[in-house]
Amino acid sequence: MATIKASLTLNSPGVLTSPLSLTVNANLTVDSGSLIRQKVKGTAADSNDLAIYVANQCSDRAYLYIKNLEKELENYVYVHNDTDTGLVAKIGGGEFAFLPLNPDKKHEVYATRVDTMIEYGVFGNDNSANPYGGT
Amino acid sequence: MATTTATITLSSADLTGDALSLSSTATLTKAGTLTGLSQTTGIGRKTTTSTSQYTLFDGDAYASSAHKVYLKNTSTVATEYFTIEINSEQMGKLYAGDWCFFPWEANADTNDIKITPSVSTSLTLEYALFIGD
Repeated sequence: MATIKASLTLNSPGVLTSPLSLTVNANLTVDSGSLIRQKVKGTAADSNDLAIYVANQCSDRAYLYIKNLEKELENYVYVHNDTDTGLVAKIGGGEFAFLPLNPDKKHEVYATRVDTMIEYGVFGNDNSANPYGGT
Repeated sequence: MATTTATITLSSADLTGDALSLSSTATLTKAGTLTGLSQTTGIGRKTTTSTSQYTLFDGDAYASSAHKVYLKNTSTVATEYFTIEINSEQMGKLYAGDWCFFPWEANADTNDIKITPSVSTSLTLEYALFIGD
């Protein structure tokens, strides 16, 4: 087992009358995960989607970090699972998300623009029966 | 307009052969603009006392926009979690001490963010919503 320290700091001197400053830390016990930089081909939920997590790739729980490396805010990246109709997240250019995934479902990404570059990583406890790279 | 930044740091000395160290900062802006967010719920807490589903943010109450959501399970009991649901889809489970941060587009009345505690005893979720107008 390994530990990932995940920290989030939110700062704003002006969104409230008192400055907002929040830092939270979580130590996640995981045994697998890596960071990947890849281009997204698809621009709709179809067969051109980029698979970022296969169903049951991880046991129990999985965490996704994903950043949209586009410079234009309106060049979005859309995260969804392959069985439901809605979105898990819609991430603007330059923005990131860190969220728990439903480990039972395949998750895919499409984007506003072809060849949108993203950086992502899934961290969790690997399930060797369903490897990310396939068998 | 206010400038609000979110910085994430992921680090691990033992997950990979080379130490993992990542830091990324985003300035939170209104949808489709470079204007900073001007509204927030502030940092709040919700304590639940049943395993019923609770509506944390009602999609009907916010315009379709690029809101940002922060959630943290403040429990210290490792087995206790909140199941997070968006638009009736399970996003995932937020276990004790874990947090998440993600954009939210309230693009329909039904696009709520709901939470379901795993226990009927007291369980507290810390939250903040930065509203994209």
